[in-house]
Parts: sequence; C-alpha cells; structure tokens
Amino acid sequence: MIRLENVTKRYGSETVAVRDASFDVAKGDFVFLVGPSGSGKSTILRLVNRQERPERGDVWVAGQNVNDLPDSRVPFLRRNMGNVFQDYKLLTGKTVFENIAFALEVIGKPRHVIARQVPIVLDLVGLAGKEDRFPNQLSGGEQQRVSIARAFVNRPLILLADEPTGNLDPATGEGIMSLLDEINQTGTTVVMATHDHRVVNAMRRRVIQLDRGVIVRDQERGVYE
Amino acid sequence: MIARIAYAFREMWASFRRNLTLTAAAILTSAIALLLVGTTLLIQRAFENLLVQWKGDVAMIVFVRSDATPEQIALIDESIRSAPTIINVDKLQYLDKTQTYEEAKRIFAGDPVTLSLLTPENIPSEFKIVPLTQDPALVRSLSEQYRSLPGVEDVALAEDEFQVISTLSRFVRTVTLVMSLVLLVVAVGLIWNTIRTAMFARRREIEVMKLVGATNWFIRVPFMLEGLLQGLIGAIVSCGGLWVLNSAWTNGVAGFKPGTGISSLVVPSGYLSGVMVVILIIGALAGAIGSAIAASRFLDV
Repeated sequence: MIRLENVTKRYGSETVAVRDASFDVAKGDFVFLVGPSGSGKSTILRLVNRQERPERGDVWVAGQNVNDLPDSRVPFLRRNMGNVFQDYKLLTGKTVFENIAFALEVIGKPRHVIARQVPIVLDLVGLAGKEDRFPNQLSGGEQQRVSIARAFVNRPLILLADEPTGNLDPATGEGIMSLLDEINQTGTTVVMATHDHRVVNAMRRRVIQLDRGVIVRDQERGVYE
Repeated sequence: MIARIAYAFREMWASFRRNLTLTAAAILTSAIALLLVGTTLLIQRAFENLLVQWKGDVAMIVFVRSDATPEQIALIDESIRSAPTIINVDKLQYLDKTQTYEEAKRIFAGDPVTLSLLTPENIPSEFKIVPLTQDPALVRSLSEQYRSLPGVEDVALAEDEFQVISTLSRFVRTVTLVMSLVLLVVAVGLIWNTIRTAMFARRREIEVMKLVGATNWFIRVPFMLEGLLQGLIGAIVSCGGLWVLNSAWTNGVAGFKPGTGISSLVVPSGYLSGVMVVILIIGALAGAIGSAIAASRFLDV
C-alpha cells in the first residue's frame, strides 16, 4: 500500500530529515513510526501525502509513484488518505457535524450522502448526540475523536496519524488507540508517528524506529524500547 | 455539480460580508477608477464631434454655396489642384451635400436648433484640403485666393478653429487616461489585498481543505467570484455616476448659445450605453484578475 525506496529528504542544505529510508507497508497493516523529536517521523508522513517531495528516492502509494504525480492529481491522492494530528486541526467556527461534513463537502459529495455518512461515523467514534457542539465545548479526547471521524468519513485506504495521543492523558490516549485499532480492523492501513512508549508497548504492532532520519529498526510486533 | 456551485456562491457571500470594510474600500476605488475611464471615453467622443471635420491633417475647408453650379464647383476644384506644390492633391476630398449633412449631425449633436435649420438641400458642400507645406502663411494666402472664387461661401482654417481645441482635447484625454489607469491599478491592488486578507483569515480552513483532497480550483473559485463581484459592483456604481454626470452635462450644455461649439460636446445615448458595457466588462475583469493573482499566490498558506 505504501512503499518508500531509498528516500532522502533535506530541509535546506544542512538538515537531513530522512536519509535513505526504505520500507513497505502492506494493505491493512498497522505501523508505528517511533523515535525522538526531529528523527524524521513527521517528514515521512508528509512525504506520503505529498506535502513534501523527496530529494532522492521514490514514494509509492497504492501502486502510484507519488513523485511523478502532477500537482493537479494530488487532491485525488489525498482523498485516499485521512490525516489525524496532535493539535486536531478542527475548525472552531463549525460544529462537530459541520467539521466532519466539511471533508465530504469540499470533495463535492452531495448533501444526501453527507447526511447519511456523518451520523454513521459519529456513532463509530462514540460522539453520537454531540453533533451540534462546537470544538471548544469538547474535551481533548473528544476533539481528537472528531478529527478521526473527519479523517475516516471518506473511508480512506490509509490513515496517517501524527502524534494523535500527544496532547492527551494516558486513559484518553488508550481510548483513541482502541478507536484507531477498530478502524484498522475495517481494512484501513494505519501509519502512526509517536513517541508515546505506553501505546506502542500495549499494541504490539510493527515498529519502525528512526534516529536522526535513519531507520534503525523495523520489527514485527515490536515494542518502543 | 449543483452542490459545488451552491457551495462556491455560499462561501463567496459569507466571505463578502465578513470583510465589509475592506470590501467597501475595494468597491469604491474601482467605482471611481471606472468612472474616470468612462469619463475619458465620453470626453474623447465629445471632442471628436467637434473635431470630426478636421480629421486626417485637414488644414483648410472650402465651403461651397449650396446654390453653386457644377461649373463653379469644377472651377474651385481646378484652382485647388493648380497648386500641387503647396497642397496634397491626393488627399483632396470633396464632400457633397449629403455627406456634409451627415457630418453636421455630429457637429451639432448638442445643438438641435442649428441642426434643424440645416437640410441636405441648403447645406454647403465642402472641399477638405491637406497641405504639403509647413508654412501657415502660405496656406492663409491661398485661403484668401479661394475666398474670392465664385460659388465659395467661406474658407475655414484649422489654425483658427481647431488647434486650441485639439490641444485641449489631447491634454484632457491624457490626464484623465493616466489618472484612470493609475486608479485602476490601485483598484486591482485593493481587490487583491481584500482577497489575500480573506484567504489569510481562512488559512486553517484552506489547510484542512487541501488535506482532505479539495482541488485547488474548488478552493479558489469562491475567492475569485468574490473579487469579480467586487469589481462588478464597482462598475455598476460607476455606471450610475456616469449617467448622472452625462445627464447633468448634456442639460447644462443645452443652455449655451447655439453655434459656440461647446454645444457639440455631447455624446449620443447609444454611445453612453456602449461605454457602460465596456465599464462593466473592465470592472469584472479587474476584479477577476486581482483575485486570481491573490488566489493562486496565497493558496499555500
């Protein structure tokens, strides 16, 4: 589903964010990208959704070479992937329902599809009944659930999560992890960047460890160390 | 598709209302700029009425009495052609009564009293003379000579009638044109800035839109519509202003003594509507261009 081949990415001429990284993620996998801040985890996610382009090497998503994709095709690539962030990136002026509906609206989905899909996904993330709240009326965990709902409402092939538990307390983080696990069970490939030991050790999934941009470990059913 | 169009218009309208002060400034500036563009076009046309008989370097006009015989006209023609070193005989033009009458309709456009006294029967015909010489004294002495020919009613010299007006018209045209161009650039800039501000205010929304796979055009179109609407509203305002100005001017000029020339400085109403259409197009274009530049440059917020 996702393949990196000898990918190198630098910011400026000095900082090497990712150096000669190669790995393969099969459809339906759940992969942790671990490592300290600045080790290149987020850069890899940004290379996959083409917010960045590699300096060398190739990035393949669903059989497509992302580097060769013309700019005009990038939106269609992104419709296959959901994004979840540490800071949720919810729109504060819109309600829970509108935030999720927005993701469908801007890719041109008709109103009746939106009216059907949003309640289903709200139910899935456990926020049924809170559709009319605004983000600032919700707890951090609830806001992250909204953002996951928004990422998943389009049934993407891939879910990219960048430190989704970073702002949450352990118990709330666990809830988010079981939600991501549930989404993974539906066949969605999940790639999650984190430096949260607990969630990695509790899940026992594939772990790709980065150190200053270099992959130093790629282990099935791994722990954080 | 309908959902998309509805979305674009809804977003345009929401953004339009959100930045009301900036929007008002942009609209007002484009209205003033376009008003000047329109005024320039009207002034130019009005002066053309006055200058129409002197077009193409014509320096002297010999008016032939309406009751002149063909022999007299032939004699006048012959005498003019007898000075090929002073007069450009290739460009010598003879307007018969019908042609002269058509020309008079423009010259006396704002002076219906004078015009009503003229008919294709009683109007003089005319010879239009383009000189080769640069010496005005030579042309003037020729004019004295022609004046004494039988059948000639009068000889008019551009030097006497035309040059002051021509200079004045050129000056007015240049000033208004430069001012309207400058203001037009300012209007495009203001629209550009309004759209940029609108996009900056919504950068988080745009970021999310890009991440969930909205196409750039989908993001851009509401902003471009907003700019286009600003330009168009400015144009509508300026059309109103132009109409008011033109009516006031036409009424005012009607009070002048007939035959002073000032009264021909009016434009036909058909021309005014033409100018208004041009202004609406320029306004819409300016708005679309300003916002398109902003929308493509600031999409990477």
